[in-house]
Amino acid sequence: MAKYVVTDATLSINGDDVTSAVARAELTQTAAEVDVTDFGSGGNTEVVGGLKSGSLSFDIHQDYGVGAVSKILSEDLIGTIGTFVVTPNGATPSAENPSFTVECLINTVTFVSGSVGDLATASYTFPTTGGITIATA
Amino acid sequence: MTIAGIRQGLATNLGTISGLRTAAEIPDQASPPIAIVSLQSIDYHNAFQNGMTNFIFTVQVIVGRAAEKEAQRRLDQYAEPSGATSVKSAIESDKSLNGNCQTLIVDSMPSVGSLQMNDQTYLAAEFSVQVYV
Repeated sequence: MAKYVVTDATLSINGDDVTSAVARAELTQTAAEVDVTDFGSGGNTEVVGGLKSGSLSFDIHQDYGVGAVSKILSEDLIGTIGTFVVTPNGATPSAENPSFTVECLINTVTFVSGSVGDLATASYTFPTTGGITIATA
Repeated sequence: MTIAGIRQGLATNLGTISGLRTAAEIPDQASPPIAIVSLQSIDYHNAFQNGMTNFIFTVQVIVGRAAEKEAQRRLDQYAEPSGATSVKSAIESDKSLNGNCQTLIVDSMPSVGSLQMNDQTYLAAEFSVQVYV
């Protein structure tokens, strides 16, 4: 695997490919720090991994046309669990381009966003629910 | 969506201004008043998988000999933010350029000055157009 410049990542929402409207994407997962410090810790704190949580964030270009991302990410989805698939470097999953499938709570939808003279964009951050499925084929 | 199509779309929109000649490409000979479309820069990769490319075009409007008051008055009319002679309004009259882009904006007129052409000094202004494809 070589280093790469991000140009060909993909993102789909509930099976709809919104790649061409996405300018940035980030999927992260973290484990909570659970403190297990006790009298035997020798004056140091000790932690172990707790529950995992994650988030998916991405920036889109707003578009209200038929099939556009703003139609796909609609008010009907607020409060629902959506399935998101991200690939880092092309649409075809492989060992060097794994796909990441994750379910997220769509807890907000941005209907209008932008400053005068700027391209209309919106930024989203959704919490994941459950784990992340990584596929290489 | 092609660069040639964008050029032609800009020229077509500019052609709605009565009396203003248009050129989608830099001509060998320019006869004022004329609006000349030229490509200034391209910003690729503004969305994944070539989902958006940003072009900046310059529309140079040569209005007439700099010494003529009429040329200055005409330039004022072309520089208006709205109205039948407004270059900005004409360019933005069809923001899809007949389907050749997703949207566009005339964001500024960054320069006004003299231009040497055919041994004459002409008054000219440049308009900056951002085109999103």
